Amino acid sequence: MNGFTAFLRKELLEHVRNYKVLILLSVSAIFGMMSPLTAKMMPDILANVKVEGMVLKVPEPTFIDAFVQFFNNFSQMGMAILLLVFGGLLSQDLAKGTLIIPLSKGLSRYTVILAKYAAALILWTLSYVLAITIHYGYTLYLFKPISVGHLFFSLFCLWLFGAFLLAVLLMASVITRGTYGGLFVTAAGLGILLICQTIFRMDTFNPLKLVSENVALLTGKAEFDQLLNIAWITGALILAALILAMAVFKKKSI
Amino acid sequence: MNILEVRHIQKNFGKHPVLNDLSFSVPEHSIFGLIGKNGAGKTTAMKMIMGFLKPTGGEIRVCGENVAYGNTATNRFIGYLPDVPEFYGYMSAKEYLMMCGRITGLKRLQTSKRIQELLPLVGLDGIKRRIHSFSRGMKQRLGIAQTLLNKPKLLICDEATSALDPKGRKEILDLLSVAADQTTVMFSTHILSDVERICDSIGLLHEGKLALHGKLSEIKNTYRKEAVRIETLNEAQARRLLEHLHALSFIQSVERSQNAVTVQLHDPQKNGLKIIDVLSDEQIPIMNYELLEPSLENVFLDVIK
Repeated sequence: MNGFTAFLRKELLEHVRNYKVLILLSVSAIFGMMSPLTAKMMPDILANVKVEGMVLKVPEPTFIDAFVQFFNNFSQMGMAILLLVFGGLLSQDLAKGTLIIPLSKGLSRYTVILAKYAAALILWTLSYVLAITIHYGYTLYLFKPISVGHLFFSLFCLWLFGAFLLAVLLMASVITRGTYGGLFVTAAGLGILLICQTIFRMDTFNPLKLVSENVALLTGKAEFDQLLNIAWITGALILAALILAMAVFKKKSI
Repeated sequence: MNILEVRHIQKNFGKHPVLNDLSFSVPEHSIFGLIGKNGAGKTTAMKMIMGFLKPTGGEIRVCGENVAYGNTATNRFIGYLPDVPEFYGYMSAKEYLMMCGRITGLKRLQTSKRIQELLPLVGLDGIKRRIHSFSRGMKQRLGIAQTLLNKPKLLICDEATSALDPKGRKEILDLLSVAADQTTVMFSTHILSDVERICDSIGLLHEGKLALHGKLSEIKNTYRKEAVRIETLNEAQARRLLEHLHALSFIQSVERSQNAVTVQLHDPQKNGLKIIDVLSDEQIPIMNYELLEPSLENVFLDVIK
């Protein structure tokens, strides 16, 4: 436990001093603010785009439209930024050899994986909560609130996908060598999930659904039970990725 | 008691054998120098002692406990300084040492106390800068402070002086000598003068095995060449001396370069006096007369020939 708290503190300090906290929090704040604003201004923006012979009729934006923007921003740009910020989470330590001294002082290799995951998860959770708070405040201010279904679960799904991405990234960084190996393998894995979803229609267990059905959940068009299952499966996958990462890392030549 | 025992260790990288049946032991409270050419396998051997690399065969024991590859409990006895220590550049020296203390399970107060002892010892007291602005010598000294933090029984330093300037090297060697009062030191290098300065026993790694192993003084005795070197004032005198020495029966060989004559002979202490007789009979003035000590460099080159 000593090792875990010591290394977790080191990880958090690293994120603060290497500006990762600053980057993630500011991006989250911007997303939280931008989403309701773009939803509100969408008709004005489209009105300025003049296409000859076409009349663009845009319905008055609603409470739901703000969430459409929010989920769009976070499931695409948000995830990409998360990956880029944490891309070197373990690879950097391995490539530079900075882990050698802590390991020689008796730090357990399991602890390295768990502390790194915990620190990244804390940071992701903090920035996500910040984004939601700002987003919700602005949305309430700009739109008339209507009652939506499964709001909390829908937001939780996106958070869970972020947690899943971080676990996969950590596992991929253990398995590959070099600074960017982990990032590439994770991106490739996402590509495979995307192909499974769009081409093979493997919907029943695909974690990608966690970031594609959020609005449908709010409007009641998605099957809640199926998504709940996927959430459980994703939870199990996170656990499996972490266990695999620890097992492989234990026997890795440093 | 032996702090470290290495028994029949083998290591192949692919098909290329690096270590081949390497065995040696390091007794408590000694400074053991592991020497060898670049690429002889010094770092590989040390990484295996730390459990960072998996031996192809053989076993390693530290303080009587087996070293397991991966998570090894034996690291609690060891302080390790890698050849180029890498730190977290965004921390200060004190913050880094605090982290190391927490990892090894020292209490907060204990750690603070140790840090207050160690930072002045390594000359980093009062330096508040972050580590990324440290020079190589400073990093090496911080590395030593880090190894000593939990009072290890065995201190392993991999090429601790190789990348430093003469001043930095002297500082590190002095630190290791001080540390050796309380612990056992294993020190790898290819700089032989460093070994001669601080080590009491050595192992010479060559072609995957220890080609030499033992007390430095004993090794030097074994390899002692019986030779005398005489310097005259000018070349003419040296030439004259050479002619007279050739005539003596106990002389094995004589060589001259400029005004210095090197003589190989039996029993230099007794027969040396006869050389001095020759010098005085022939009225050859000298600048210098010395019995030649075998240098570690000569031993090294002899063994790896």
